[in-house]
Amino acid sequence: MTGSLGRITPIAINTLREAVRNRLLYTLLFFAVAMIGFSVLIASLSYVEGERIIQDMGLASIRLFSVGIAIFVGIGLIHGEVERRTIYTILSKPVTRSEFLLGKFGGLLITVWIQLGLMSLAFAGVSLLVGAGFHLGHAAALFLVGVELMVIVAVATLFSSFTTPMLSALFTLGIYTLGHLSRNLYFLGQQSDTESVQRAASLIYRVLPDLESFNLSLEAAHGLPISGGDVTLATLYGVAYSAALLVLAAFIFHRRDLE
Amino acid sequence: MTPIREMGRLSMSDDRREIVRVESIVKDFRPGLGIRAKRVLHGVSFSVREGEIFGFVGPNGAGKTTTLKILMGLIRATGGSARILGREVGDAAYRAHIGFLPENPYFYAFLSAREILRFYARLSGGEGGVVEARVEALIEQVGLSDAADARLGTYSKGMLQRVGIAQALIHDPQVVFLDEPMSGLDPIGRKDIRDIILRLKSEGRTVFMNTHILNDVEMICDRVAIIVKGRIRHEGPIRDFLKEDELRSDIVLADLPEPAAQAIARDFTARVQTVGEQVEVQVREEQVRPLLEAALAAGAEVLSVTPNRISLERVFLEAVERGEAAEVAPDSEVESTP
Repeated sequence: MTGSLGRITPIAINTLREAVRNRLLYTLLFFAVAMIGFSVLIASLSYVEGERIIQDMGLASIRLFSVGIAIFVGIGLIHGEVERRTIYTILSKPVTRSEFLLGKFGGLLITVWIQLGLMSLAFAGVSLLVGAGFHLGHAAALFLVGVELMVIVAVATLFSSFTTPMLSALFTLGIYTLGHLSRNLYFLGQQSDTESVQRAASLIYRVLPDLESFNLSLEAAHGLPISGGDVTLATLYGVAYSAALLVLAAFIFHRRDLE
Repeated sequence: MTPIREMGRLSMSDDRREIVRVESIVKDFRPGLGIRAKRVLHGVSFSVREGEIFGFVGPNGAGKTTTLKILMGLIRATGGSARILGREVGDAAYRAHIGFLPENPYFYAFLSAREILRFYARLSGGEGGVVEARVEALIEQVGLSDAADARLGTYSKGMLQRVGIAQALIHDPQVVFLDEPMSGLDPIGRKDIRDIILRLKSEGRTVFMNTHILNDVEMICDRVAIIVKGRIRHEGPIRDFLKEDELRSDIVLADLPEPAAQAIARDFTARVQTVGEQVEVQVREEQVRPLLEAALAAGAEVLSVTPNRISLERVFLEAVERGEAAEVAPDSEVESTP
């Protein structure tokens, strides 16, 4: 393994090794799995559609806690390296700042995907145990959670490349929230009679990530049809959006003084 | 590797080629809200030649680490240029040929020395068996064989410094940059690091060393630049700092017969002092060899010979004082010897 990949890979592996030592990750993972288990108890209190309740709660828990892990492990991603000065020795090797950034991004993404895999196993286990079934729709929904996590990790990497963990957390949470509202904001803007409001709503929709395009929880839990084309399109959108964020992060990080 | 070596050769201005060339570097920081700029480097210029140990000396806050960070590409200069091996420091390619030890280095605490060296070796493009062989050789060289598999979080400061030196050498660099390599170490640790630096020189490497410890500079450096308040006050070979009549050495002898002691005092115009069973002699440097020959011929035992170069300290202190004065007159002259 040579070239950029040969330099990015050890940084990613190291980031993964460091992230799995973060106790917060295990705490959130524990709560996620506990919530999936807890959904069985909640469903038992309902007379109707117990399986749907289990799967709704399970998928919602996975989305919520995965994003929590991505944000709270990701916010200190670059800042921690600068603060502890571990970055000095890394960048004194023939490693470009973009390669460093990609390594950190890759390591964190693998970390959140591994925990997503573990949560998905718990979800599938519980679903099969209560007879709710685990279908291709569930797999597609969980796959798109993975794509959404990639976008969130890219957002966290961008903010971590130039600001403190606290601000980075606030910004990333803000983007996450707005990202889930951006589609509604767009439709709301289009209802306006004023052209400038329509344009502004359109611009905001284009700039912010449309995170609802990765949300197939409802369709999966209720067995509604899921189009393969939609999944592919959402995946391409997620990859392109993440790539754009990483290019912007690299641009900022290259110009930054590492004091 | 070859193209960079060739490019470096092009910039030769002496019988030894220039490895580092810093010209009129200016650096402004914008603390707080960034409204007002604070200038910390005021047109710093110096050069480092092949195979020498270059001491970059200055008091705390003089701009040593800022200069080194510019050379390492960690921060950008506001003005001027810096080249290493003929390449601009913004270019990552030259880093394949340099090693860097930051001040008080910190490493991933959950890794062992062996693991962190493998990590740096892979970042430097090493693969497979070559990496393993290099890692093992360096662990041996810096004396960490017994602790190579212990987590770095359990290491002492001196051990971390050794890991820092090992990682700086992992890719067999031509030039090594060390930021305060002896800072905070005990006397044994300092001696070990000095020995390692001297070994690097004997292997033909160029060493750039940031330090504020003059004793270390006197012992191992070939050339020195003194920086005070962001300005170079002196640059030149270490011996040029020491005028001929100021180069003196302290020699401690045992079993020197009294007549021989008197003869030495007379013949060498040396200052001779008897302390218990020992005789301490202070003599000009060019007389060290004949004096030792005379003492040995008289049956004496030589206990120690210590070069006594107090003048570097004086030059340094004068430079610091002039730096204070330069706050009033910022365009004062810089002394330089080729």
